[in-house]
Amino acid sequence: MRDTDPGLPQGQQAPPDVDLGRVWTAVAAQVWRRRPGWLERTTGRLLRSPGLARALLTTPSLLLPWLIASIVVLAAGAAATLNSGQPVVALLAPAVAAAAIAYSYGPGVDPAWELSCSMAVSDRMVLLVRALAVFAVNAVLGLAASAALGGPARSGAAAAAGAAAAVTFGWLIPMTAVCAFALAVATLARSANAGAAAGVAAWLITVLSGRVASGHFAAAVTDTVLFLPYLAIGVTCAAVTLFATRIPRGSYR
Amino acid sequence: MNVEITELTRRFGRNLAVAGVDLQAGPGVFGLLGPNGAGKTTLLRMMATVIPPTAGRLRLLGRDPGAYGPRREIRRRLGYLPQNLGYYPGFTVVEFVEYFALLKETPAARVPAAVATAIERVDLGGKARAKLRTLSGGMLRRVGIAQAIVNEPELLLLDEPTAGLDPEQRVQFRALLRDLGQRATVVVSTHLVEDVGAACSEVALMDQGKIVFQGTPAELTARGTEHGTGDAPLERGYTAVLAAARS
Repeated sequence: MRDTDPGLPQGQQAPPDVDLGRVWTAVAAQVWRRRPGWLERTTGRLLRSPGLARALLTTPSLLLPWLIASIVVLAAGAAATLNSGQPVVALLAPAVAAAAIAYSYGPGVDPAWELSCSMAVSDRMVLLVRALAVFAVNAVLGLAASAALGGPARSGAAAAAGAAAAVTFGWLIPMTAVCAFALAVATLARSANAGAAAGVAAWLITVLSGRVASGHFAAAVTDTVLFLPYLAIGVTCAAVTLFATRIPRGSYR
Repeated sequence: MNVEITELTRRFGRNLAVAGVDLQAGPGVFGLLGPNGAGKTTLLRMMATVIPPTAGRLRLLGRDPGAYGPRREIRRRLGYLPQNLGYYPGFTVVEFVEYFALLKETPAARVPAAVATAIERVDLGGKARAKLRTLSGGMLRRVGIAQAIVNEPELLLLDEPTAGLDPEQRVQFRALLRDLGQRATVVVSTHLVEDVGAACSEVALMDQGKIVFQGTPAELTARGTEHGTGDAPLERGYTAVLAAARS
């Protein structure tokens, strides 16, 4: 598009060799340009992919309303723990994380999911990065809630190490298993609702079964016999998710 | 040839959506016509590498999309507008188009210019900073087209691109299609026969998962001179071929 305006005086006309359309597009590109925040820039460098970083920062269950809701639930759990003496935070954390993982990616959660599946940045990679980020954030929230109850900070070094181990084996391992299960169900059923419901239901059943079997409400997070099965479930469900998100190579030939 | 399809089949349980399709397409605008449920969208989704075929052979841009590396390369050079374009209501037009430019692995330094060019090409410059939730259906369709063309694709797949566009926008869009078709292979799935007549150099007609006609719009028109029904010549060709395929 080479424009000259007959209404303008000679001196104000664009030279005939100037492509005003291209000039306008270049100006628009600068005016409309979005400046990524430091978190997106850093994540992009770490992941070596600005697209993956952007996809990570659009994770539905990492947006502020979801994070606030998670913090409120865990804070309520911490208050209940202080009042009742029961490890409510340890019992709540896996369920909260499982729901967040299920809502991290997939049809029904990501509005442009089908479009995302045709992109060069692998949808499997997006799923993996988002799931890991959601897990990490929930682990930090859970640790913060545990710390708020007064463990490591108020004790000596040995007690702190013991408390950290208790937290790790108490709820972090069950949380890994429940999250992996929720993710596997969400991936297989292609439904975040199904994944979240399955994860929360499975954890509820585990807690209630522990209560019936041992008489303790917190057996699901204190019984060391369960740690190995939790790990086995976590590994199996992660393998199921990887299998379900593959593209069968032979079918194109 | 940018698209080479041989005996391509896709099943969903017992339902045979695409039944052994053969198709070749080079640069130009290729129209995919057919009634609802003919298998056009499924064929396009396979070409967009969203779903794998059940059987058959598919090569896109000279590559095999079954392997990770070639599939990634295809996707970098691919533009796709799905029938149901989901959008993030809180994103602006620029943010949405930019997001998909990044996911297509467009070099970061080239993204702002590519986004601006794509938005201007669909005539949405005036709404560049508007939130998607504030746009009309026709405008959202144009946003979808902008994200599809933001990487200057060599293979552009458009599923019902003119749905929701008003007549003036459809005329502009056909001009854009013709322009894009000079460099790329553009496959347009539609049930609007007039879009095909105005913009496509070649057309295939699908029915019940199979291609029942392939040729130029003029050849399709010629099929309807005696037995077709419809208001426009191309429509008469369309109905005549469908009637012959079903008889």
